[in-house]
Amino acid sequence: MNRLKTYIREGWRDWNYIFRREMHTIFHDDALLIFFVLVPLLYPILYALIYNNETTREVPVVVIDQSHSSMSRDYLRRLSATPDVRIVSYATDMEEAKTRIKKRDAYGIVFIPNTFAHDLVNMQQAHVSIYVDMGGLLYYKAMLLANTEVSLEMNKEIKLSRQSIGQTRAQELATTSPIQYEQVTIYNPASGFAQFLIPAVMLLLLQQTLVLGICLAAGTERERGLQYQLLPVHSHHHGLIRIVTGKGAAYLTLYIWNVVYCLGLIPKIFHLPQLGTAPEIWAIAIPFLLAATLFGMTISGLIRHRENCLMIIVFSSVPLLFLSGISWPWYAIPEFWRTFACLFPSTFGVQAYIKINNLGASLSEVQTEFLALWGQVFFYTFTTIFTYYRGLLSFRKKRNEA
Amino acid sequence: MVSAQGRNNDTGFWNIVRREFRRVIHDPVYGFCLVIAPIFCLVFFTTLMGKGLPTDLPAGVVDLDNTTTTRMVARNLDAFEQTKVVAHYANVTEARRAMQRGEIYAYFYIPKGTTEKVNRQESPTVSFYTNNTFLVAGSLLGKDMRMMAELASGAAGRTVLRAKGATESQMMAFLQPIVIETHPIGNPWINYNVYLSNILIPGILGIFLFMLTVYTIGLEIKWGTGRELMALAEDNIFKAVTAKLLLQTIFFLTVGFLIMVYLYAILHFPCYGGLWRMLIIMALYVLACEGMGLFMLIVLPTLRLGLSFASLWGVISFSICGMSYPVIAMDGWIQGLSLLFPLRHYYLLYVNTALDGYALSNAWPYVMAFVGFILLPVLFVGRLKNIIKNMEYIP
Repeated sequence: MNRLKTYIREGWRDWNYIFRREMHTIFHDDALLIFFVLVPLLYPILYALIYNNETTREVPVVVIDQSHSSMSRDYLRRLSATPDVRIVSYATDMEEAKTRIKKRDAYGIVFIPNTFAHDLVNMQQAHVSIYVDMGGLLYYKAMLLANTEVSLEMNKEIKLSRQSIGQTRAQELATTSPIQYEQVTIYNPASGFAQFLIPAVMLLLLQQTLVLGICLAAGTERERGLQYQLLPVHSHHHGLIRIVTGKGAAYLTLYIWNVVYCLGLIPKIFHLPQLGTAPEIWAIAIPFLLAATLFGMTISGLIRHRENCLMIIVFSSVPLLFLSGISWPWYAIPEFWRTFACLFPSTFGVQAYIKINNLGASLSEVQTEFLALWGQVFFYTFTTIFTYYRGLLSFRKKRNEA
Repeated sequence: MVSAQGRNNDTGFWNIVRREFRRVIHDPVYGFCLVIAPIFCLVFFTTLMGKGLPTDLPAGVVDLDNTTTTRMVARNLDAFEQTKVVAHYANVTEARRAMQRGEIYAYFYIPKGTTEKVNRQESPTVSFYTNNTFLVAGSLLGKDMRMMAELASGAAGRTVLRAKGATESQMMAFLQPIVIETHPIGNPWINYNVYLSNILIPGILGIFLFMLTVYTIGLEIKWGTGRELMALAEDNIFKAVTAKLLLQTIFFLTVGFLIMVYLYAILHFPCYGGLWRMLIIMALYVLACEGMGLFMLIVLPTLRLGLSFASLWGVISFSICGMSYPVIAMDGWIQGLSLLFPLRHYYLLYVNTALDGYALSNAWPYVMAFVGFILLPVLFVGRLKNIIKNMEYIP
């Protein structure tokens, strides 16, 4: 009984020591502060500002109107009224229009041939051609959207005006549009870029800065030869769990605030969707943070110098964003890369968070991701303990040799 | 090659190169940043998006009418290349749940009585629901479903018109008086692999260029060998820096050219301006990123802070270069900020040269920007020298 008491007391003392020591390290290292505090604080704002306007409005276009008819003018009037494009100039022929594109005065050309009005009057199909610079896919989308809308609208009116007298309204509809349809964009109705990308970037940011910070801290310790002196080795030798939980708790303490900021405050400030309730989001954030911390601690055991982890971890943010299935649909990712993606907490974290936060899914609907995250926690606990165990062994060996 | 026994002036230079060579060989970071990681990314992105456009995206059908005609619609929808009907749901609520679980990105809804209404010429409405939180999947499925609805409507309209004795072209002219013809310039297949890999891969190369430049020079500071280096260079900072960076530059140029050859000659991504022009752009980009990297170290002259600067700048490049979200849609001050990122200029030059096939002279301001980045450290050469010689490393 007494031994157990001593054990607990000592355990608690060591744990406390490790925890505080790690906190001290974090707050006295400017590089660590950059990744643990500054980046999580400023990056979300920067991203939100970049994508703030959500979609491309008013893409500049140049127009070639060879029809010079009231109908072509009507078409262009409606086109310039759409929010997506802005007519910046008129050209007489294709060569001139292409020069404007070349000079980047415009990103698209709308070409109305001289047969346009003639065709419409003679009940022939009339054509409008659009040419889009493909440097950005959003220019194409904006052009296509604006022109499709205008043409559908005019088509409807033309069809109605062609109806023979004496037809009822119902008959008219039956021939002009026998089946009507509507498209409903349930989530992210404005097809906004901020809503699409920022939630995923937030989760990835949390993981990457956490892993980076952990590796930097471990690297510093190793360079100073401190790593396993953290534990008062002289007193006892079974402190692995103490080291792992003590350090882990220090990182988590910081990251709880980062979660509140990145997942709670940022969406509020920038009016991003927030359909999930706080308990639901925490239910995902906690296993995600745990998995990311343990993942980071495992990786930290593999990196020898503190600077090297920057090289390895920073670039991986871009592939990881793609592996999370947001920018490139998850089901379109080849099997091999999907399996590879299961190694990283961000894959499941992003998926679960998006479903809860953007789609309003309940916890039971993200069961797979939830379980996968806990599975990673379990797996990376073992790898972390193994990594630290190996480190401890080599440290003792060195100490005994010395 | 100038031999070590050459003019006295050269001795220092080649000694530094030799010294650097030993470091590069013994430090695994170089192998990782120069070869392994860029090649990994090249393979990763081009295989991940290997199909160009995602195919067989999961979609659902809620067919409450359930007649031969409506079942045909579901089958036809499945025949579209981008759409795969993975499930039929009994009602809209179930379909929405499946969407929330992420099992489908869109569903097509046919209300009860649709076929009957068509037969009675009552013009029924069908709808389709897309999830644009997954922007690419949502908009591609939306496109397919809109086409399906148009086709179904057209088919029904044709039946009515044919009964009235109209010819095929008359029918088309009647159903769709104005048609839009699209001509995407440069990337006519709207291939996402072309659209993304072309910038993502050089972007990642840029991260490594920033970081490795900071690392190579920063290590001298960290290990306190700066004085030794300057002694070898006979106190000539230009000699010291160019000799230090020579090896990594050769490697980066080789990898950069390899990327260009792979993208344009092997994968045949559109390159209307000629491969050699893209090689020139890549070479300028490599040097510009190194110039920027040196500048980072001049601003924050410790290894870890310089590297932090490099990594943050490198990561922001992807968002601010305008590849996916156009810079003209950003706020004014961010538009200005974007000019400080080499990847922004690379992107503009790539569009100009590879996609549009214009001469480099058409985009000369961006070429000049690259030259500016390369010359940037020259402005602070005194400070750089001072840093290398006198900075103390504080771990």
